[in-house]
Amino acid sequence: MSGTSANGPEKGTIALVDDEENLRETVGYALRREGYRVDAYPDGQAAWEALERDPADVVVLDVMMPRMDGLELCRRLRAQSESLPIIFLTSRDEEFDRVLGLELGADDYLCKPFSMRELVARVKVLFRRLALDRRPRQGDDADKLIEVGHLTLDLQRYTAHWKQHPVQLTVTEFLILDALARHPGHVKSRQQLIQDGYPHDTYVSDRTIDSHIKRLRRKLADVDEGFDGIETVYGLGYRYRQP
Amino acid sequence: MTRSSAAPPARSATGRPVLRFFSGLSIRLLAFNLLLVFLPAFGVLLLGTYEQQLLVSQERAMVQQARILAAALAESGPIERESAQRILVNLAQRQDARLRVIGPEFDLLADSSSFGPRIDEPPTAAEPDPGVRDNLLYRLGNLLYGVYARAFLPPEPPTRTPGLFATESKLVLQEVEEALQGGYGANMRRSPGGQRSLTMYSALPIRSDGEVVGAVLVSKSTYQILGALYELRLAVFQVILLSVTAAVVLSLLLSTTIARPISKLRQQAQAILDRRGRLTGRFKVYRRQDEIGDLSRALAELTRRLEGHLSFIESFASDVSHELKNPLASIRTAAELLAEVEEPHQRARFRGMIQRDIARLERLLSGVREVSQIDARLEQQPVEAVDLEPLLRSLAEAYGLRPNGVAYRLQVPQRAVTVVASPDRLIQVLENLLDNATGFSPEGGEVELSLVVEGADAVVRVRDRGPGIPVEHLEKIFHRFFSYRESRRDGHTGLGLSIVKAIVEGYGGSVQARNRDGGGAELGVRLPLVD
Repeated sequence: MSGTSANGPEKGTIALVDDEENLRETVGYALRREGYRVDAYPDGQAAWEALERDPADVVVLDVMMPRMDGLELCRRLRAQSESLPIIFLTSRDEEFDRVLGLELGADDYLCKPFSMRELVARVKVLFRRLALDRRPRQGDDADKLIEVGHLTLDLQRYTAHWKQHPVQLTVTEFLILDALARHPGHVKSRQQLIQDGYPHDTYVSDRTIDSHIKRLRRKLADVDEGFDGIETVYGLGYRYRQP
Repeated sequence: MTRSSAAPPARSATGRPVLRFFSGLSIRLLAFNLLLVFLPAFGVLLLGTYEQQLLVSQERAMVQQARILAAALAESGPIERESAQRILVNLAQRQDARLRVIGPEFDLLADSSSFGPRIDEPPTAAEPDPGVRDNLLYRLGNLLYGVYARAFLPPEPPTRTPGLFATESKLVLQEVEEALQGGYGANMRRSPGGQRSLTMYSALPIRSDGEVVGAVLVSKSTYQILGALYELRLAVFQVILLSVTAAVVLSLLLSTTIARPISKLRQQAQAILDRRGRLTGRFKVYRRQDEIGDLSRALAELTRRLEGHLSFIESFASDVSHELKNPLASIRTAAELLAEVEEPHQRARFRGMIQRDIARLERLLSGVREVSQIDARLEQQPVEAVDLEPLLRSLAEAYGLRPNGVAYRLQVPQRAVTVVASPDRLIQVLENLLDNATGFSPEGGEVELSLVVEGADAVVRVRDRGPGIPVEHLEKIFHRFFSYRESRRDGHTGLGLSIVKAIVEGYGGSVQARNRDGGGAELGVRLPLVD
């Protein structure tokens, strides 16, 4: 099950849980090429048995799996660790909605068929977040901050604050919010947002963006009830309200 | 009209509660009921014939009386006033008609009404007062009153005006003249005094030695006939009135028991589909054991099956897209890696992966096509009586020849076991079961294929010594795309057993799955035997 890195010291451990043998092989290969250690498991039960004893740094999870599905595994992993980064791989739109709706605290989602480069980029982001969280904040971090009105975006950590309150965003949500807030008052089409949110993937549907926007609004409204920073421009796309 | 308190709150959209209450069917019910009621009313028309007959028989009776009187008077030559009166007195006691004896010069010799109060009248017709009657309003009112009076008022007996009993010395009447000329005279005149009744007149000559010496005039009012007819009419009318009431009540009852449940069903049928044509509700099932109850149950069943079919289509489409996405994802990732990787053996690996996944997609699509066409194919393909024993034998032999490292053992009875099915479909069922068992068998394992007769069913069982089926999945393994294998082997789409189930159930059979003692799975197919 365990794979070893071919080049250099291991950057971290990734648990890859998917019942597709070929996907385990290709994704595992691609991540190992980046220097990660990849442990692949065919179902949630097998993954849980291994991860319970020996937690991974990042988990890549399929939703539909025999024995134990991804949602249940996510729940258990979250119970074990609040900060463990988890990326979901979903193959149904309904699954996608379910994952989003369950508020399992997943850090990102990708819909099958996803781009390998996209997945690798997301994994890297999560590892960077992890690394930044482990070291104290330094002076040069300030360069990477964007402030738009009450909104503060940390481009290194992929974290957002609204009126000093942290907002828990997935990587995709962060990328979309960043794209919108960088140019307040400018309308961004869904296609543009797809490019911003999924820089390496071109097979994403407009509907996915709508789901993310809905979710973004809700997360921000959870922090500040009066939040109405993201406007829908009918027929065009979305716009961040000028502060 | 009384509206039942059970009437539904009329939908404000239509705004015509009364019309809604009397829906088309209700009105028709009412119409038919009223039609039945009015059938006796047509009997009233026959009253005319009845009246005619009564009149004829009254005339006969009058002629009879006239004959008797004429015969009695004829004996004594020229008629003596006194003797005529004497005879009249004798006769008239038993007669209800007015008898008059008239001499040859139209002179009245005797009159039965002069002896006492007879219900009869002189032949003078009462003249209407012309002055008032020119008034249009009066005439209209009179007409209406006349219609009403003719229909509903009982005829009054002739009033006893003094004129009634006045005897005129001369009676120059047409019928008398005819009688004096030796013939039979008959006439009918309106009774005097504004009466609706008529008076019939019959005149017969009195012959003495072949000469006409006078005439007998018998007159009688039709009052009695009118009275009888009136009572008949009244009775018919009462019956009609009662029947109409009964018909309305019956129609309302029928309407509440037939038309209203039907219109409720219609409302439900309209409400059950939303604008996008999706099922949003269900039919309320009536408990009643009649046609409407049957209809409601049939509709409920229809929607239930429609719902099942719709959800089948929906979930099938979603399952298919889900199943397609896994090989697609695998192809995509492998293709991306292929573009980045240089090592030849890795490239060969990813190429092979892509080819395998493409083959898997093809298998998946043909399986999907097959699943979606099973019902149609089952209907198209002709069924015949198929003996399972030789079929199983040849299949076991054919599988035994395959170099897959699995042995096949056959257990069949020494007799024909015949079911009705398409042989092609049966082979498909058996092949899918054997492929499934083969796929799970360990190297060098044995797959058992057995056929037994249990009751009225033929049961084919395929057993393997594979990993068996987790208990919680025993039900699910016949679901499409369901797979409990850790990794999918080549050729496996997760559709084989769902196809088996669909075909077997299409032939009225059933499928079962259980785990064997000592490990392994047993899948059974039960098909009804030919009678």
